[in-house]
Amino acid sequence: MQIKTEISNLINYRLYLTILQVVENYLKKQRYLRIELPVLSPALIPELNVKAFETELKYIKKKQKLYLTPSPELFLKRLLAHNIGNCYYLGKSFRNNEQNSSLHSFEFTMLEFYKIGSNYMEMANEFLKMIQYISKIIFGKKVIEYNGKEIDLSKFEKISITQAFEKYAGIKEKELFNKSLFLKKAREKKYTVKGFSYEELFSQIYATEIEPNLGINGYPTLIYNYPKDFSSLSKLSSDKKTAERLEIYICGIELANCYTELNCWKEQQKRFKIRKASHSVDMGLIKALQYGLKNCAGIAVGMERLGMIFADVKSIHKLRLINIVNN
Amino acid sequence: MKVNAGNLKKGNFVFQNNEIWQIQKADFYSPGKGSALMKTKLKSLNSGKNVAYTYKSGEIVETLSVDCMEMQYLYKDNNSLYFMNERDYNQYAIPISTIGKVVDFIKEGAKYFVYVYEDKALTIRPSTSVILKIIKTEDAIKGNTASGGARKTAKVETGVTVMVPLFVKNGESIIINPETGQYVERIKV
Repeated sequence: MQIKTEISNLINYRLYLTILQVVENYLKKQRYLRIELPVLSPALIPELNVKAFETELKYIKKKQKLYLTPSPELFLKRLLAHNIGNCYYLGKSFRNNEQNSSLHSFEFTMLEFYKIGSNYMEMANEFLKMIQYISKIIFGKKVIEYNGKEIDLSKFEKISITQAFEKYAGIKEKELFNKSLFLKKAREKKYTVKGFSYEELFSQIYATEIEPNLGINGYPTLIYNYPKDFSSLSKLSSDKKTAERLEIYICGIELANCYTELNCWKEQQKRFKIRKASHSVDMGLIKALQYGLKNCAGIAVGMERLGMIFADVKSIHKLRLINIVNN
Repeated sequence: MKVNAGNLKKGNFVFQNNEIWQIQKADFYSPGKGSALMKTKLKSLNSGKNVAYTYKSGEIVETLSVDCMEMQYLYKDNNSLYFMNERDYNQYAIPISTIGKVVDFIKEGAKYFVYVYEDKALTIRPSTSVILKIIKTEDAIKGNTASGGARKTAKVETGVTVMVPLFVKNGESIIINPETGQYVERIKV
């Protein structure tokens, strides 16, 4: 890898800085408290497919393993259990298994904010209001243009995961929630199934057949109710098969991931036990939940992806003045 | 050679569904907190069609070592086009069906890059422009303007007819996009 200086991105970078300022102003006006957090932690939440960078603190014959945090959730939930109220983190997050590509980087800027007394749909509306505010300040209107397409930010197009698999991939509800039927269907669709899990095939079909259709009909798309296996930190929906998790897309690009937060410590502990983690597991979060977490919802936003949409560029790296690139 | 899909790169050739494809674009991707994937754009060497395909990053993909050699185009018959490698004078045939529309714009004696796998020519390397001489076109009628996008027919040296702007004259050379058959611009050679 090497360090690349990209001064030609200065115009995009300035726009991105404005967006960061506008977002902070918006959250301040809505009385969210900004939280500064450590980026190194001795333990993490076990999350599926998230791999952490490891390092070691060395002091007088002792060594302490530390991890760069893949998300600020473990810290923010502790504070929420201590009644900090509506709050947000805006800063770096790190993912060890994410190579550089147009939408990925192993370190990226994340906005994560929580609202007490809200569910995931209300939180999505809060996000919509925030992007409308950004658009109004920057362009003076609620309609933006990305990649030659007009996107009206005044409302969401809504679709559930079940509806989307039926509509775009021809996979029916009973096939989607039955692992062996799902794998059979994937085989019929000529995906390589042997040696791969339900979860891997779900991701492959989702990325290939569902995502390209999201956020392309003139509005951002809100896709909701993921199978519960994909949402270890969110509350179950009333059907008990899905969880109250949603994502928001513009032009096939995922911008935000939102949950109604799971606040039952027994259920959380049960879900943690199912996960195999390659790092020390943060059981302090369970203690915080035992202490009591009010009903709330949280949303995580990839700030550079959001910046990329407003700057009308095709890669998050076009917003950066210094990029670490592959050789 | 078998490789992990996570290591696929632009330019690699892969074999799947009984076809050879060239990777036009390969991008790491992970939906939400889902498992890692490799999003690719593949171009079929048989039909030239483009498809989007997403691999699981742990998937094993068969890649082929395909060579790209410069060759001279000799002639065609009803089924194939014949090329010669000027280094060893070996001749290679490529079925017209795999070359597609581009066949109309291939010039005898000119040099092209040919993809070869296990001593078999697969197809020619696509190009977005080809320079051809106009051999027959009517002069523009007086009163017609060069602006406004008016077009007339013109026969080029490979024998096919294309649409060109009114100002193009007999004996001049033009650039054509062989994939679409469309006029791009007039040039001096």
